[in-house]
Amino acid sequence: MDAKFFDNWTNQLRKGVLELCILNDIRNRKMYGYEIVRRLRKIEGLIISEGAIYPILSRLKRQGLVETSIQESPDGPARKYYKLTKQGEEMVSQMNAYWQAISGATDSIEKG
Amino acid sequence: MITLSKSAKKSLEDYLRQARAYLRGSKSLDADEVEQNITEHIENELEGAAEPVSRDVLDAVLKKLGSPQQWVPEEELSWWWKIIFRLRSGPEDWRLAYISLTLLVAGLLMLPYAPAGIVLILASFLASRAALSEAANPNELKAQKWFLYPSLIIVYLFVLLVLLAWPLGLLIPLADGYEHALMESSSRFNNETDYWITAVSVILAGLGLWWCILAIVLLKPRRLLRVLFRPFAEMVRSKWAIRLLLIGLALMILSAGTGILYYQDFI
Repeated sequence: MDAKFFDNWTNQLRKGVLELCILNDIRNRKMYGYEIVRRLRKIEGLIISEGAIYPILSRLKRQGLVETSIQESPDGPARKYYKLTKQGEEMVSQMNAYWQAISGATDSIEKG
Repeated sequence: MITLSKSAKKSLEDYLRQARAYLRGSKSLDADEVEQNITEHIENELEGAAEPVSRDVLDAVLKKLGSPQQWVPEEELSWWWKIIFRLRSGPEDWRLAYISLTLLVAGLLMLPYAPAGIVLILASFLASRAALSEAANPNELKAQKWFLYPSLIIVYLFVLLVLLAWPLGLLIPLADGYEHALMESSSRFNNETDYWITAVSVILAGLGLWWCILAIVLLKPRRLLRVLFRPFAEMVRSKWAIRLLLIGLALMILSAGTGILYYQDFI
């Protein structure tokens, strides 16, 4: 029962955090899909299935938060690069601020 | 482009088909774009692997990618898409099992509106036979049997009944008013009892002869039987055919005996 509760909780938390991490990852420079996966999989417990990142990228694109551009690659076929749109930059700023606030409040409650 | 082994190629095709089917159920993303990214991801992961890439190596990459069902939250998909997804992307034996059962249920419901019901039951039968062909060994089909066998049993029982009893069908036109015509035209029949004893004796003799022929066919080309009644033909034993042969012979003797006993006065 405890394990199931914990799994459900981490699943819900991970979904939102993963979107935040993706947006932050491409905040400073454009990246192609596989590059984002490679970077984010280093964070333990963040990614359960690596394939989940690609539907998120596509959804963020549909929502206008990221945009894509095709660029030739020296290693093989052309790659699709993702970068934040202006709307995406505003959104990630809001999300980061919210995250900081929640995280800070959670820490202070935990410390009593 | 990375070269995959035959089994790895099939595994990848199955995986991408499943992913495509699942992703198309979500309106919030571009399924083609995701599929392209997934394909690129796999190619990047397999870079440097010994070619042709074996299924084990590929499956390790696919395992890390995860099941497409983990990518999109279920609440994003409609209930009908989830059913279509299972039909479209499940392993072939399960897909056909679902199709077979759906067609059979629809066929039984539509039975009062024949021929639509009969056509659907026949389509269900064909789906079940296709699933049997897909499985190298019918014993490999475990839970699917519950979905596949009902239509097979219905059609096989019907075929079996027709094969065994069609000569009895000749009684129907005889009982349907023909007896009077025959009785009027033939001086051999003194009354209705004469007519019926003759008619039933002849038909039973014909039935006996037919069962003897059927028994011989069943005894000899067993392969034909296996193809026709797959997978139940395996349960048929030679002694059943011998019994059918003996019953056929007994019927012929009984009919001939009845005829001789009844008409000995005339003869």
